[in-house]
Amino acid sequence: MIYNIDYKELYNNFPSGYFCSLPDGTIIDSNNRFLDLTNYTREEVIGKKKFTDFLSQGGKIYFENVFSPALKLKGTIEEINFNFIKKEGVKFPVLINSVEVKDKEGIHLFTQSAIFNISQRKKYEHELLIAKRKANDLSNELIDINKELLSSAELILKQKSQLEEFNQHLENKNRQLSSFAHIASHNLRAPVSNLMALKDFYKESIDLEDKGMLFSKVEIVISHLNETLSELIESVKIQGNKGITHDPIIFDSVFHKTLEILDNQILDSKAVVTSNFSEFPNIKYPKLYMESIMLNLLSNSIRYSSPDRIAKIHFSTEINNNEVMFIAKDNGLGIDLQKHGHKLFGLNNTFHRHPDSKGVGLFMTKTQIEAIGGSITVESEVDKGTTFKIVLKKNIS
Amino acid sequence: MLQRIIARNNITISGTGSKSMFLVHGFGCDQNMWRFITPQFKDDYKIILIDLVGSGKSDENSYDYKKYNSLEGYADDVIEICDVLKLEHVYFVGHSVSAMIGLLAAIKRPALFKKLIMIGPSPRYINCENYFGGFSQNDIDDLMETLDSNYLGWSSAMASVIMDNPDRPELASELEESFCQNNPEIARHFARVTFLGDNRSDLKKLTTDTLIIQSKTDAIASIKVGQFVHDNISNSKLEVLETTGHCPHLSAPSQTIEAMKKHLI
Repeated sequence: MIYNIDYKELYNNFPSGYFCSLPDGTIIDSNNRFLDLTNYTREEVIGKKKFTDFLSQGGKIYFENVFSPALKLKGTIEEINFNFIKKEGVKFPVLINSVEVKDKEGIHLFTQSAIFNISQRKKYEHELLIAKRKANDLSNELIDINKELLSSAELILKQKSQLEEFNQHLENKNRQLSSFAHIASHNLRAPVSNLMALKDFYKESIDLEDKGMLFSKVEIVISHLNETLSELIESVKIQGNKGITHDPIIFDSVFHKTLEILDNQILDSKAVVTSNFSEFPNIKYPKLYMESIMLNLLSNSIRYSSPDRIAKIHFSTEINNNEVMFIAKDNGLGIDLQKHGHKLFGLNNTFHRHPDSKGVGLFMTKTQIEAIGGSITVESEVDKGTTFKIVLKKNIS
Repeated sequence: MLQRIIARNNITISGTGSKSMFLVHGFGCDQNMWRFITPQFKDDYKIILIDLVGSGKSDENSYDYKKYNSLEGYADDVIEICDVLKLEHVYFVGHSVSAMIGLLAAIKRPALFKKLIMIGPSPRYINCENYFGGFSQNDIDDLMETLDSNYLGWSSAMASVIMDNPDRPELASELEESFCQNNPEIARHFARVTFLGDNRSDLKKLTTDTLIIQSKTDAIASIKVGQFVHDNISNSKLEVLETTGHCPHLSAPSQTIEAMKKHLI
């Protein structure tokens, strides 16, 4: 079938407005649809109106600054939204597509433009824009709320870490206090029983010279006792103020003080007590703890020495993998680690039926060592002896 | 420093001449708008083209709303670019708002500039007592609406969807290649700074030789405005071209080139 299409008719009644303009914007032709849309007559438009005459002032700025340069540079432009003004002054929104028509030399002859009335979709678009703005506002609100939440979460985290720190502090204090209680009872115990023994000797002795010697020993023990007491009092003060203080300590001095305190027990047991701190002679460590550790370990070794051989006890220091080690070695009764190992450092555990045994010493020693961030391990063989290996400090530098 | 500024302003340098010609586009466009002009000068000049920060392929992240709240911010960029490129005796060509940017730069550093060529300049767009700028405050609001409808309308809503669609990079690159695309929010801000500014009092401070190129019919900067600029700049010449529109370098490039050459001798 053959249709005879009347192109002139088609052009004029096409559902979009068409117009053709010269490079200066003067409209030289338009279809009827364009005239219908703008309510002008053909005579009023052709040769008289320019493209920009249908635009508002703001539209003209956009036309001159954006639309026109883009069309010049690309030769075509699509989907630009302008408000066209009808003859009676009413505005209606259009989308416009334009193309430059050039001759063979590239000279711009005229511009063809098509405009689409988008009044209906513009209303819808307006609703969309309002919805979009609302969504944006809501999204911004959510962002704000989220920010607030994040900052309160941050605050809570901060408070939590403060609480944890505080808790840690309390735990430390608690540990120090219980350790202090042990030191107080334990460290006073050795010199007091020493004093009791000396008192008995003193009573039994009839020789004046012996009595004088015994009394001078009593004096020494009393003076140590006094010193220990003052240190305990001092440490209560210190611990009340802050954490444990680390004092500069010479191992040899603490060792000799320990020997003096336990002088009687050493003499009684005939133990040979030696030391070698040459590998690491000094350390910064709580003095009270160090004294307590040595006193405990030495009195333990004496207490549990073997009746079958001369007791040999040796204290020394070492550096191992950047750690300061304190080592106490004896050839005493030893401990069956298989049997007692798990409760060796527990409170009120004793492993020997020994009259002096109170089961406090090793628990306290371990507590003190760990409070400073160290550790204690033991190697032992029944009837051969025991070696305590103590890491005093890690990462010395 | 140099690399950062080159990226910031998408600086391109061409030409083999010894003199420096520095061309800056106006509101709504980018350095592409000089493409009909520059071939005529590339043998005699080193051609420096930039995109103002916020326009074209400049670094959008460098758009500081405080700095670019007045044209001084752009003028400082022009001076900075001249300094890092070690330019001297610059022939500065500014279209529309960039004519005012050049004006401010040349007042600040007169020694840097040999000549200013202003194409379609306007020191103030809003009418006021005893002055005709061509527009009212309402007209600028109307412009904002047109800007919005072409950015925030369905086409630009699509653009943001397209830009956010990493699966289809070809769409983004197509948008990128289209001329004179600007970030809508920056375009709004730049439009306000451009069309609500008032540089009339600066004109008299300029001592640099100036050529004003003016279309006979220009809806943005009318011949009346061109005359005002000419009257207020002491060392200025006015060339009126037989053409229509705000961009004679696009609508009548040969006339524009002719006028420029006449005054560059």
